[in-house]
Amino acid sequence: MFRLSAGVLTLALICAVGIAEAASSPNEQLPAGPMQEKAGAACSSCHEARIIVQQRLSKAAWTREMDKMVKWGAEVDPQDRDALIDYFSANFGPDQPAYLAPKSTSLSVARSRSKGKH
Amino acid sequence: MTSRRAFLKTASAAALAAPVVHPFLAWAADPSAISVPGKDGMIVRSYRFLDLETPVEFMTDWITPVNHFFVRNHMFEPAKIEASTWKVTIGGEVEKPLTLTLADLQKVPIDSVTNAMECAGNGRSMQNPKVPGVQWGKGAVGNAKFSGPSLKVLLEKARVKDTGKHVMFRGLDEVPGKVPPFIRSIPIEKAIDADTLVATHMNGAPLTQHHGFPARVITPGWAGAASCKWLTEITVLDKPADGNFMIPGYRMPNSPVKPGEAVKPEDTHSVTGLSVKSLIAAPSDGAKLKPGRHEIKGVAWAGEADITKVEISTDGGSSWNLAELGKDHARYAWRLWSYSWKPAKSGDYVILSRATDSQGRIQPEAAVWNPSGYLYNAYDQVKVYVQA
Repeated sequence: MFRLSAGVLTLALICAVGIAEAASSPNEQLPAGPMQEKAGAACSSCHEARIIVQQRLSKAAWTREMDKMVKWGAEVDPQDRDALIDYFSANFGPDQPAYLAPKSTSLSVARSRSKGKH
Repeated sequence: MTSRRAFLKTASAAALAAPVVHPFLAWAADPSAISVPGKDGMIVRSYRFLDLETPVEFMTDWITPVNHFFVRNHMFEPAKIEASTWKVTIGGEVEKPLTLTLADLQKVPIDSVTNAMECAGNGRSMQNPKVPGVQWGKGAVGNAKFSGPSLKVLLEKARVKDTGKHVMFRGLDEVPGKVPPFIRSIPIEKAIDADTLVATHMNGAPLTQHHGFPARVITPGWAGAASCKWLTEITVLDKPADGNFMIPGYRMPNSPVKPGEAVKPEDTHSVTGLSVKSLIAAPSDGAKLKPGRHEIKGVAWAGEADITKVEISTDGGSSWNLAELGKDHARYAWRLWSYSWKPAKSGDYVILSRATDSQGRIQPEAAVWNPSGYLYNAYDQVKVYVQA
């Protein structure tokens, strides 16, 4: 009985930590797709996905951005270049609805945690 | 908090914790609010690197409080700089190169300027066709009082040679990958204008980390990119600085181009002073208003010029009415304005604002399209519904 309670308590604690991290995780995600992982790997050492997901560009403009970013250090296998441009163009073209940006709060992570627990 | 090192730390903690987050607990987290200490209710255009926009509804005060002042970073912010070890060098085309500490700056007479600072890309998201870059809405602008030594006084100590024609600034931003460093220059005439500052204070308090602690340049009336943060180097040059953020960055076409058209770098000029512009802070776009009298209010600025009038249309631009300008004003500052409006009947209304400045410039109905979406300044517009 005691061991079960301890187990439940441990699980609850782990979940509480999980909530805290979810509440304070600030980074936007790239959409699912065959190039999701490679796009993340190429771009995320310099900026988060939010910079990408708010763009609404033609394929020609995405091509220019891709080539600029490779020049600026994005690690892209030349074999993946066209597929990445297609991935960005398909998901973030001019006809997509505008990206809705989140708001900031000055609450610290610590306060988000206690908020998350209650 | 958004330095590269800090991010890597946060990212590993999140990666470790991620597997234990269960979907049924998602209700407990607020997925839209991002913790940015010292910044409240701002629109997060980017968290890493940090770019924060001020909601236009906040623009009802002459002085924008620091916690509501927009943040524009091209790079990662430097790790916290120690005031006691920070220094700035003045070199290049000078007789006497100098290294100054914060204590040295505090011995120089302090000047202040109240400056409406606007990012060159403010309003970029409203360009059509769309252009790449941070998709700013209306609020990459704020009005604050900056204080510190005049750059002119510091340059006089270093004695600029006759060959000195431009002044370059370098900040301590951390540059990732092979991204070119954020280096820009301004002409010597603007650098020795008494109002161009090496500011250490904003609204009476030391600069915060996000705004360039411990010292930043303030080039008043110019696009924010001319006001380098975390200043560490001032170099006098015989020509404009080279590099991505001078060419092809921050340039406007010399003559209007067809929307969507490419422009050759040689057919462009550097972005300098801001355009004439007004924004409507209230009522909010999409607001449902009760019948009766309402105050339409907002802000207007014009870079190095002064605002002479702001006009409001409540009929989609058919007729215009003079707004009353606020009593607070200063060169380079924005001006509050208000217009008392009593709608004749219920229904949908389009409210427009347009400003005019002392150089005779009038905020246009449509902004000049350009490939980077700089200096957007079309009439501001909100749509409201007045209830019966």
